[in-house]
Order: sequence, then structure tokens, then C-alpha cells
Amino acid sequence: MFFAGLDVGSTMTKIVIRKDSGDYLSIIKPTGAEHRRFVDKVMTEALYKAKLSFEQIDYIVATGYGRVNVPFADTQLSEITCHMKGVNWLYPSVRTIIDIGGQDSKGIKVKNGKTNSFVMNDKCAAGTGRFLEVMAELLGMKLEEIGEMALRSGNPVAISKMCTVFARQEVLLRLSDGAALEDILAGLHQALAARIFSMVSKIGIEREVVLTGGGAKNAGLVKFLEERLGFSVQKPDEPLLTGALGASLAAQEIAQKAVADGAMPKQKNHTLTPASFFEEMPSVN
Amino acid sequence: MIYYAGLDVGSLLAKAVIMDDDGILAYSVRSIDGNFRQAARQVMVEALDKCGLLSETLNVVGATGLGAAFVNDPAVRNTEISCQARGIHYLLPQVRTLIEIGDQSARVIKLTEKGMVADCVVNDKCAMGSGSVLQTIAKVLGINVTDMGELSLQSANPVRFSAGCSVFAETEAISRIAENARIEDIVAGLHQAMAFKIGSIAQKIKIESDVAVTGGGACNPGLVKMLEKTIGNKLFLPREPMFSGAIGAVLMALEKVRMEKLCCSN
Repeated sequence: MFFAGLDVGSTMTKIVIRKDSGDYLSIIKPTGAEHRRFVDKVMTEALYKAKLSFEQIDYIVATGYGRVNVPFADTQLSEITCHMKGVNWLYPSVRTIIDIGGQDSKGIKVKNGKTNSFVMNDKCAAGTGRFLEVMAELLGMKLEEIGEMALRSGNPVAISKMCTVFARQEVLLRLSDGAALEDILAGLHQALAARIFSMVSKIGIEREVVLTGGGAKNAGLVKFLEERLGFSVQKPDEPLLTGALGASLAAQEIAQKAVADGAMPKQKNHTLTPASFFEEMPSVN
Repeated sequence: MIYYAGLDVGSLLAKAVIMDDDGILAYSVRSIDGNFRQAARQVMVEALDKCGLLSETLNVVGATGLGAAFVNDPAVRNTEISCQARGIHYLLPQVRTLIEIGDQSARVIKLTEKGMVADCVVNDKCAMGSGSVLQTIAKVLGINVTDMGELSLQSANPVRFSAGCSVFAETEAISRIAENARIEDIVAGLHQAMAFKIGSIAQKIKIESDVAVTGGGACNPGLVKMLEKTIGNKLFLPREPMFSGAIGAVLMALEKVRMEKLCCSN
């Protein structure tokens, strides 16, 4: 049997296709503004990579903020459930998950493979990846390079404002004062780490801590977060995938339970429609 | 003749005003463009040029705003809140509550009959409600900030912004554009979200009429209309809503200089 998990995030669309034997493959593509049409295209690419046809997939679970826009999904599940499942599968000893996404951040407390409690911020850009995105744009740098650069600082500039808009202004003032770029960047990463730490502290942080989402790819943020926590954190090889991985695991659970109950999983009668919107994407036909 | 100048160096615009004992002689405004020091110097030169004065003729210079520290000339510095209060009292003496909407600031200031600050609430934690979000969304929509007010007045069905964050408002606007929402509805929705936030700031103070609006936000009729609806008070606009801070800076500097003279002569 084959199962698919889709995680349609604000920035990236992630798909995991897995076999019941446990092997899986994945694909990550930028989401774009029109994910309804785009998700078909990404799915087609994933199937091409897996050398499977759409009909061979037994069950599909969608998650992420764009999950309602996946017409061919059999079930939609919350990001919290899927992230927890994905991380718990990779790290059975995990107790706290910190997920730093492009548009939200969350803390999830895991107990016995289940979500014990969680906190989430999707109302304020401070404490999310968006904070760093705004700063990278302001400084004319790439998001991928600011974390490394922050690590070179010996003397981080204190950034006192939480709000992204105010912090941006503070950076402009510090630049006018002549502060070094790496010191400002270090200060910004410190401020972000402090914000995330205080949010996740509400559910009580216990080891092991696993860091996921795009934020886990930022070496500077990881370092300052570890400094705050006072111990090191785990991060998956591909921290963006845990949601889609969890969704594919959930798909497997649901389908196998249905089979064990003697019924084939209820599948929606949807097919993939060819996307005409993102023609600049490489063709897979 | 004795001449005074006031400088209000904000995060987006530098404002200068030249006054004498009879009133305002000239004013000028220019964009900061990333250089506070230069903008402050330039805007002062422009204002002086307009009334044909040289900087040497100035007797007193007052400065305020986020970038006041970047004013090179010797100047008397005062906080934005007290300068705004003094400025609006000079322009509209009957005002008891002032809502100031700058690029970064959304403040509600209560005034005494003499134009002193009685109480104030400021948006020190969150930028929503301040004008910076207008700049961002104007860019996304490909329109001029200055056209947003008139445009939004044509909307019958404002779009709802849910996050209440200036940064996320940009993402929401992009999503609404993708869903083919009308531009005027997006702008009106944004004004509504800002008015709602400013209204919640204002609730912390008991609003007394007359209520005035200053700052760049006051130049946006769409925002002012939404704000009137949210707060339920008629809002008065001074003729120069951008210059209340600079005028206040002059008045406060004068007070200080006169006080010092008084003390010395005794």
C-alpha cells in the first residue's frame, strides 16, 4: 500500500509518499499565492519521482494552513497532530517540539506519543520566520546567509523591540550609529530566540527538544535558542518535512485500521487536474 | 526680529517649521531616505529658503521625534508626546484628546486646558495602527499611499483582516488579491483594522471631545472616516496635520529658553 502526506505551508508545500514497509520519498516546493492549482502540480511531480500513478495511492492526508485547498485529500488533519506524529516517529524520546515556520511558530508537548499541550503564535510576526525574512530583506541579504553571519559576531547589539516593524526601525537606527552588520544580526537572532523561548516556556520545556520548520535551518537561531535553553536541541536532517511525514503516517494508520476492520478506506473520488497556472515549472510529462 | 525653528525628525519624514512671534512663517517636509542627519539638515534649509532666512538668524531651535538625536545644530530636545500636545493646543486650542498616527506611532494623548499632557497611551508593543502598514500595502497593491484614502471611500464591502499584525497584513492582502478582491475593499479593510487597533488603544483613556487627529494618518480621509466610526466622535483636523510636532518643538524650546532667562535675570 502507498500513502501520501501533504503539508501546505505558507511558504513551502511539502509532500511525503510512503510505502507500508516504511520507505518514503519527499518533495519540497515553494507554495506561491495560488496553492489550489499549484498543489496538483507538486503532487504530480512527487508521483513522477515515486514512479507511481495517482490511483496507486491508497490514502491521502493533508495538513498545514492550506490543507483545505487540497481537493484530492481524503482527510485533513491539524498541523499540531501531524508535526507531533512526524517528530515522534523520528525521535521517540522527544518531549518538546519547537516548530518555527514562515508564518507561525508553535510549541508542542509530547507525552506517550500523543499531544499533551501546545502553544501557537500565528497572530504576530514576532517569533516567526517572517521576522528574519523582513530583516534579511531590509539588509539586502539572503535568508539562508544571515544565520551564519550572526555567528561571526562577538558583540551582539541588543534589540529591545519585539514587534517586527519596530525592530526594523531599531535596526535602521543602529546602522545609522555605525553598528556592524554581524552584531545587529546576532542581536536580531537573540531577540527571536528570546521570543520563542518565552512562548514555549508556557507549556514547560522538557528534554528532548526537537527543533523543526525553516527556523531549524538557521544555524544562528539554533545556537541562540540553545544558549537560552541551556542545552542542545535535536533537529531532523530535513526540518521542513516533519509535518508531511506525520500526515503520511496518519494516512497509513487510518487506512490500515480500516483494512483491519474489514473495510477498504473510504477514498474520495478526486483526480488530479493539470495545472495551467505555473507553466514556468519544469514539466514532468 | 526674533525667529524660531522646530524640527520633527520622524522615522519616515523630517518636518521643519519656522516661526516668529506672530505665527508660522514657513514649513517644509522631506523623506528621511535612510539618512536622518542629512534629511534633518536639508529640511531645515528648505524651510528657511521658503521665508528667505539664513540659519544664523534663528534664535531658538527645538527638536523632537525618533531621530532628534541626529540633529546637528544645537537644539532643545523634547519628547514627541509633549511636543504633539503643545502643537495641537497651538493649532486647535479646544482639543482635549489627540490621536497621533505616525509611521511608527499610534498615540492617544489627553490634554489639559493649557495644552499640557494629562495622560497618554502609546503603541509601544505592536506597530498595528501606525502608518507603516499603509506603505507596505500600497507597495503590494501598486498604488500611491496618498491615493489610498480617496480610493477606500469608494468601498462598500471592506475586506476583513484577521491577524491584527502589520507584517501579516501584507500576506493577507496578497491572498485577497489572489482571490480577486477589489483594491478599494482591501484598502478600506486595512483602514478598518487600523482604526480598530487605535480604538482599542484609545479605550484605555476616557476620550474627551474635542478630538483631533495629527500625523501622516490624518492626511488619509479613508482612515479618518473609519476612525470616526470606531470611536464615535467627530474628529478635527488641523490645517497642517504633519507639523504639530515641529510646532510643539518650537513652543517647548521657547518655554525652556524663557524660563532660563527668567532665572538668570533674577
